[in-house]
Formats: sequence, structure tokens, C-alpha cells
Amino acid sequence: MKADAFDGRRMPERPRHGLAGYRSRRLWDAATGVGVYLRTMVVFLLVWQAAALWIGNPILLPTPVDVAESFVELAGTGEMITNIVVSVTRLVASFLLAAVIAVPLGFAMGLNRTVFEMIDPTVELLRPISGIAWIPLGLFILGIGDALPTAIMFYGAFFPLLINTITAVRSVDRSYLNAARTLGVGRATVLLQVIIPAALPGILVGARLAAGAGWMSMVAAELIGAPSGLGFAVEWYRELLMTPKVLAFVVLIGLMGYLFDRVLRAVQRSLTRWAEPRNA
Amino acid sequence: METLNDAAPKLRLRGVRKEFVLPRTGERTVALEEIDLDVKRGEFLCIVGPSGCGKTTILNMIAGLTAPTGGSLEIDGKPIDGPGAERGVVFQDYALFPWKTVWENIEFGPRYRKGSALAKSQRDERVRHFIDLVALNGAENKYPYELSGGMRQRCAFARALANDPDVLLMDEPFAALDAQTRVILQEELLRIWGETGARDERRTVVFITHGIDEAVFLANRIVVMGSHPGRIREIKTVDLPRPRKPEMRASAAFQELVEHIWQLIRDEAYAATVKA
Ligand SMILES: Nc1ncnc2c1ncn2[C@@H]1O[C@H](COP(=O)(O)OP(=O)(O)OP(=O)(O)O)[C@@H](O)[C@H]1O
Ligand SMILES: [Mg+2]
Repeated sequence: MKADAFDGRRMPERPRHGLAGYRSRRLWDAATGVGVYLRTMVVFLLVWQAAALWIGNPILLPTPVDVAESFVELAGTGEMITNIVVSVTRLVASFLLAAVIAVPLGFAMGLNRTVFEMIDPTVELLRPISGIAWIPLGLFILGIGDALPTAIMFYGAFFPLLINTITAVRSVDRSYLNAARTLGVGRATVLLQVIIPAALPGILVGARLAAGAGWMSMVAAELIGAPSGLGFAVEWYRELLMTPKVLAFVVLIGLMGYLFDRVLRAVQRSLTRWAEPRNA
Repeated sequence: METLNDAAPKLRLRGVRKEFVLPRTGERTVALEEIDLDVKRGEFLCIVGPSGCGKTTILNMIAGLTAPTGGSLEIDGKPIDGPGAERGVVFQDYALFPWKTVWENIEFGPRYRKGSALAKSQRDERVRHFIDLVALNGAENKYPYELSGGMRQRCAFARALANDPDVLLMDEPFAALDAQTRVILQEELLRIWGETGARDERRTVVFITHGIDEAVFLANRIVVMGSHPGRIREIKTVDLPRPRKPEMRASAAFQELVEHIWQLIRDEAYAATVKA
């Protein structure tokens, strides 16, 4: 620390301006954020444009302008909406299914050594296998349809949720458990009022990773094993050699994944208001 | 001086030893050796001693959070084999629940304790009372991370008291407070303990502190500990009349006691500080 850190004149000012000042401050922050984002995008788009011009074949790599045109063409069409709805429904279904199974299982494994030792070897065996590796087998068993992508996305979402829940439950600070026990509460209260809230931040981190992993496996599963969805649309336009549309859907996949993460982040914030803000 | 009932100690420690084994190296450290101690019913007992001499370890064993390596601990003649609501603890690191507000933290015991039969209105009244007591008005809905160190400590103090324990185990509960607040809470603690009331209605308090004058002001007896290994060096009876008054701090008897205890632990404290 510098010697002059305690110099009163150099102390950071507390915000004095009222609510209006706070709002304009927020607006300014948001504007700066967008500015940084745009600058990054401009660089990215310029590189893309240069690469497209250099390759000179719109089927191999269309220019950003072509893709944007396709995107606008597609926007709001029934085709786009249907594919989004189908894929997001699958994501939500597989994510909820994974959460309903992985979180309680993670609690059981985190709290009980015997359960952990019984199940952990299987988990460690399956976890490194990408969901994509199961697609061929899935095709045999489930055929083409809703079931296969949902199952593969479930598989992708399951392990991040499970591992993060186990870790979160295990790393609950002993001092909270001790405090609760010396206040004379029973095991159910310790679980509900102490272990679950203490583990929640870690579980929510797992949930965000899980949604990301599920979304990524979706594309692979739909490319091969589904007659609908965003991944299917990518494959469909590839076969038609309509590369701008392929890329328009790729962009859409990225956008949807980002939005889903934003939603989960908002959920995370509202559920853990009590947590000290890391960088306030 | 005040005579306390010697016949039936509230807490009885006999030959209590505690060794910690480092899991990685298997190395053993003796934290406490052969502790014999009776805490009488209704007694206010203070423990002083250099850092690392095992004060917190003793408290944790009485609380039932750590098992001794050897010896026995009893409460009311029954072996201690786990924590219980009749032994309330104010932890050195507060251990407030970060996901609960000040109000909810203080409410925790009365609300969730096994067999607690308080109606919501009684509970609210009780929580309100302790919030007023520790002057946390206005902070009821704050989360612990929004509190200052001293406020956290007062909240932890209120949480333990609100559960109405028979035995209060306190680990440097006033260390993070400013001098004025500390003096106020010391007097409040004596009141809650039952200094002015009937002697057989008093709670039993085990109070760890680094402040020798704080110990002399509060205690019936002061346990002076030494380290390497942790042990009891001397148990000093405090003969000052009750109720204790702030003016007593200036009295010769008070100062003499402080000086005596200071002499006892000075060398220990010095050795511990230089080592650390
Ligand atoms: N969980 C533990 N594992 C290993 N060693 C421990 C553990 N807890 C305490 N010890 C050791 O036991 C000794 C006593 O610790 P304790 O916390 O009881 O000291 P203390 O008297 O409360 O000190 P302070 O005044 O600094 O709070 C120390 O040497 C410490 O290193
Ligand atoms: Mg300690």
C-alpha cells in the first residue's frame, strides 16, 4: 500500500449525487460497456470481411454482410421461431431433468461417504466421455426425434451440475454447521437452513456450466439425430449449400446460448443477494 | 467474598488432553495437557492466556464440537457427547450465517431449535429485545457482509443470548469492539448473567479474553493458562464485591489483581509472540 493511501484528500469519494446521479452513472456505465463491445465486434467483423474477400467463394465463407442479410430475412419467420422453440424446449427439459437428478444425488454424495464411494467410480468413468460419443448408440436406441437430442443434452448438463453440487456441499464451512448445532437445531434444519443455502452459490455456478454444456451438445445431437431444431437447420442449409443461412443459424445459436446464460446469471444474482459482491 | 456451591459443579473437566494430528505428515501436536477444572453453577469464569495456548480448544470441547483425546468432560454430572442448546457459544470468528439477515440470525435458535415452543409474537419480541440490547436497530435487515466487525460481533452475541442458554461459552466476544461499547456490553453481560438477581438463578459463563482488566472486571475466578503444552498455570479468585461498578477499575485491589495476572502471563505471552 502506498504511504499516501490514508491521505484524506485522495480517498475515493463516496457517491454524493442522489438517485438521478446514480441513474446517469448507470447509463454511462452501460454506454461504455456497449462501446467496448462494439469496438471488439468491429475488429472481428473486419477480419471476417477480409478473410471472406481473400477466399472469394461465398459458399465457403460468405461476408458478414451476406450473413446479416440472411439473418434479417430469417428474423421473425415461422422457420426461425419454430427452430428456436424446439431447441430451447429441449434445453429446458434436459436441463431440468439433469438438475432434478444431479442436485439431490450430489447432496447425497457430498454428505455421505458410502454413497460417494459407491457412485463416484462410475461418474469418473463416464464424465470424460463427451455426449457426442453416445450419439451413434443413441440413434440405435432412441431413433431420430426429440428423445435423442434431449438425452444427449441431459448427459452434457448432468456432470457439471453433479460435480459442482458435490464440491459445494463438501466445502460448506464447518463453523456454520457448528454454530447451528450449538443452537440446538435438528439435522433437517441444518440441511435446509445451513447446508443448502451455503452450497447454493456453488450449485448455481454448476447450473450455468451445465446449461452451457447442454447447449453445446445440442448442436451436435441435432445435426445428426433430429428432424428439427437450430442444429438441424444448420445441417439443412449446409446440404443446400446456402452458407449465409448456415452462418445465420450459427450466430443465432451463439446468441441464444448467451441469452440463456444471462437469464441464469440474473437468477443467480437474485438467489444469492446475501453474498458479498466480488467487485462492487 | 461470594461463596459458590462447590458440591455440584456445572461443568467438570478431568485430565482433559487434546492432541491434533496433522493429516498430511501424521505429526502430533499436544494442544492441551491434563486440564482439571470445575466450573461452578452460576459462576462467571474467565480464561486468559497467550495466543495458541488452547483456550478455544477447551471451549470447543465444552461445547461438544471437538472430542478430547483423553480425560472426561461432564455437564451436570453427565458426559458431554455433542453440542446442545443449553450451551450457547459466541464464536471467535462470529460464524454468522451470511445468507441470513441480522434479524434472521438472532431468530435462528428460538425459531428452529428442537422443542422450541415460542409463538411468532413471543419470538419477535425476544429478537427485538436483543437487537435493542446490542444496539443493532436499523440493521435488522442487513446481511452480515454489510456489517462492521463490531456489529458482527454484537450480532453473534445477541444470537447466542436469544437462545437462552444455561451455560454461555464466549470466545473473545468483545475483541472487535471499541472501548466504550465494550464497557457497556460488559455491564450488560453481567446483568444478563444475573449479577443483581438471586445467586442460584445465575447462568454459568465461560469467557475467554485477552483483556486482563476485562477478566478481572467480570469474573468470579480467572484461569490463567500457559502454553507448550497448553495447561492451567493458576486459578485466581476475584474478591471484588458485586455488583461490579465501573469505578472499581481504578481501585487498588483491582489494579493489584491485574498486575498479578499480568506478571503470570507476561513471560508466556512474550515467548508466544516471539515464536509466532
Ligand atoms: N483443527 C486443528 N488442527 C490442528 N491444530 C489445531 C487445530 N485447532 C487448534 N490447533 C492448535 O492447537 C493449539 C491451540 O489452539 P487454540 O485455537 O485453542 O488457541 P487459543 O488459545 O484459542 O489461541 P488464540 O488466543 O489465538 O485464539 C494451537 O497450537 C493450534 O495450532
Ligand atoms: Mg482462540
